[in-house]
Amino acid sequence: MTKTTAPSRRTPWPILAVAVFCIVLAVPLIAGGVWLIALGGSWYYALAGLGLLITGFLLFRGSETALWVYLATWLGTLIWAWWEVGADWWAQLPRMLAPTLILLFVLLSAQFLKSHDA
Amino acid sequence: MKISAPLTTFVLLMSSVPLAFAQQEQAQISPSQEDVPSGPDAASSGGQPADGQEPASERAESTSSNDAPRPPAPVREVGADWPYYGGDADATRYSPLDQITTANVTALERAFEYRTGDMPSPSAEGKYAPETTPLKLGDDLLMCSAKNILISIDAATGEENWRFDPGVPDEAIPYSASCRGVSVYTDPGAAEDEVCATRVIEGTLDAKLIALDAATGTPCEGFGENGTVDLWQDIGERVPGWYAITAPPAVVRGVIVSGAQVKDGQAEDAPSGVVRGFDAITGELEWAWDLAAVEANRNGPAEGEVYTRGTPNMWTTAVIDEELGYVYLPMGNSSVDYYGSNRSEAENEFATSLVALDATTGDEVWHFQTVRHDVWDYDLGSQPTLIDYQGTPAIILPSKQGDIYILDRRTGEPMTPVEQLTDLPRGQIEPDFISPTQPASAWHTLRKEPLEPKDAWGFTPIDQLWCRIQFHRANYDGFFTPPSSERPWIQYPGYNGGSDWGSVAVDPVNGLLIANYNDVPNYNRLVPRAEADERGLVPIHQQRSGAEAGENAEGAGDPQTGSPYAIDVNAGWRSALTDMPCVRPPYGGIRAVDLETGETVWDRPLGTARRNGPFGIPSYLPFNIGTPNNGGSVVTAGGIVFIAAATDNLFRAIDIETGETIWQDVLPAGGQANPITYEVGGRQYVMIAATGHHFMETGVGDWMIAYALPE
Repeated sequence: MTKTTAPSRRTPWPILAVAVFCIVLAVPLIAGGVWLIALGGSWYYALAGLGLLITGFLLFRGSETALWVYLATWLGTLIWAWWEVGADWWAQLPRMLAPTLILLFVLLSAQFLKSHDA
Repeated sequence: MKISAPLTTFVLLMSSVPLAFAQQEQAQISPSQEDVPSGPDAASSGGQPADGQEPASERAESTSSNDAPRPPAPVREVGADWPYYGGDADATRYSPLDQITTANVTALERAFEYRTGDMPSPSAEGKYAPETTPLKLGDDLLMCSAKNILISIDAATGEENWRFDPGVPDEAIPYSASCRGVSVYTDPGAAEDEVCATRVIEGTLDAKLIALDAATGTPCEGFGENGTVDLWQDIGERVPGWYAITAPPAVVRGVIVSGAQVKDGQAEDAPSGVVRGFDAITGELEWAWDLAAVEANRNGPAEGEVYTRGTPNMWTTAVIDEELGYVYLPMGNSSVDYYGSNRSEAENEFATSLVALDATTGDEVWHFQTVRHDVWDYDLGSQPTLIDYQGTPAIILPSKQGDIYILDRRTGEPMTPVEQLTDLPRGQIEPDFISPTQPASAWHTLRKEPLEPKDAWGFTPIDQLWCRIQFHRANYDGFFTPPSSERPWIQYPGYNGGSDWGSVAVDPVNGLLIANYNDVPNYNRLVPRAEADERGLVPIHQQRSGAEAGENAEGAGDPQTGSPYAIDVNAGWRSALTDMPCVRPPYGGIRAVDLETGETVWDRPLGTARRNGPFGIPSYLPFNIGTPNNGGSVVTAGGIVFIAAATDNLFRAIDIETGETIWQDVLPAGGQANPITYEVGGRQYVMIAATGHHFMETGVGDWMIAYALPE
């Protein structure tokens, strides 16, 4: 990771990248998730999408709250995934892999958030 | 079908507990052991001898055309030889050879490779699925290639003895260029060194029966015309690719019995499903069994007429019974698979049934139906297996629904419990036709629990969500959900099984049945005629020659002309986004079943993820994910199950006691074929075709690979 130098009021680019990433993923999750709810299906996807969308917006604004919102989203995902399929490893793949990767990105961006807030 | 796998082992926080499945009771189906009240829909439940037809009296009337009764022919022994498609005459796929054992199997090496040279021309690209299983007789291996080139090679060296190319045109390829095997017959009246004393018989894609001298490959002149009998005779307009033979014919008491593949879903007015018996010496028609005109067409239809069109056919391999003189025919469905209201009573009686015929007369002895009013393409695809079950001559019948039945083969009476599923949904399309009841095996089924929304799968939550939306958009009421048109419907298991043509193997010594199976749904929709017309879906006889055909999965846009609906099948229910399956793995497995109790001894996913991944990218992951599979197994006295079948292109040896894979080899193309084992000069060989399969997406090849222990 490159070291950020400018303590400007602008959000550093790694955070912007993660923010954009979150929002890009959130849109289909929310759209499809609402459709799924309308079809009588699980509420998880729309809610997870919402969590991701809020995370993205907060990251845009450089707010550390993004971290907590995503952590909550991820924990919710974990609980939901275990409730649905338990230790079925293959069934966990679509549920946990991508959200956990996003968690890593969000955690990595935390250091930039901190430096920004400082 | 290609299946996919994770690109990483990254999912932390998950314990490493292996596959566990949520098991939930299915709500829609209430099994009961009682018989259902008989009604029009329940008329042909399993196990009833043909109604009102006393086999004996029928036989008496019908033998007029035949002279002396045909005595049982001696049955060849399996061991050094592999004389029948299914190993022995009973099709147990069991070999008493025990040189290769669980202890030394890891030393197996390739003894030789033989290449048939039959590779697709540009116009046959994407249509090859040879599915070849050789016979081994004496010093020779006898086989047919994808387009029916008959070949004899030396069983110890792979050197070619002779070949005979019947010149099958590409346009004769129906859905796939397949030739699963050949049969042999020895003329009891001929001197041993006489030409054609022992003959190889194959059925071709252009629907010919060919008989050649097994030693030299010379056509048997006395058989039909110069060794060829044309099965298009009395079938109707000759439309290449509509009517084709892909299975080895059965030979019982000197009668060659053959059905044919009728390309699915084209039209109600399709070639007949007639099954015919021919004299193995002369090729003359002995009898015809036209299920809709049994008496009228017994000796062929009248001048200018044809066998009854569109009737259920037998495309797979029958099993013979020399002792009783019967041939057991696993029948498919009517030509139009997914709509049935205008089928005849006779079709409804025999579709998707196991039918026992007296092979010398063509008389039906009994039949056992596995699906009432089949609108799911649940053809019986497996070759049944004969066993002695609790002291009774019995027959094992596996089905695409995964049910395994054991019947008394003299009467067709079930020897294991058959349950009746009741109150099944009847749908909107043809509620009066859809049967509210269906039989199922209460002894053993390979079928898993019904799907649930949470079974939707993908690589990320987004494509999983997409599949989950598709799940909710479809009609799904569990097993036997009837077809629908306004919305798609989910068929589970799909038409690949359960058990398909790979069939099951039986280890009579350990009392085990070895079954590999698919565990894959299809996502289907009936297409109203107007929409089908708009899409230009026309049956095979109306297609311009050279037009695209065959590359699609079976049922993906089949016109079903004559019925109000065409059919769209998404085989394996693959995601439009990623091409990955929309449900979680495993997609196939292999299990051992205790023949005494019907209980599972072991059950494992079959096939690794090494060749599969999203967007068709191989993941190279060695995880045993359980892939779709096609082709069967061989069981040996060495305690080994040999099988390829899966889409990972591995040929493997499995310990029959534990189900563990103890040896494997990477094949140059998919092993979608049944392996064999044999012995020459005191050395045991195991052979598998590595020829690929277009539908299974396992490449294409022409290798026959023999393995043995180092000398």
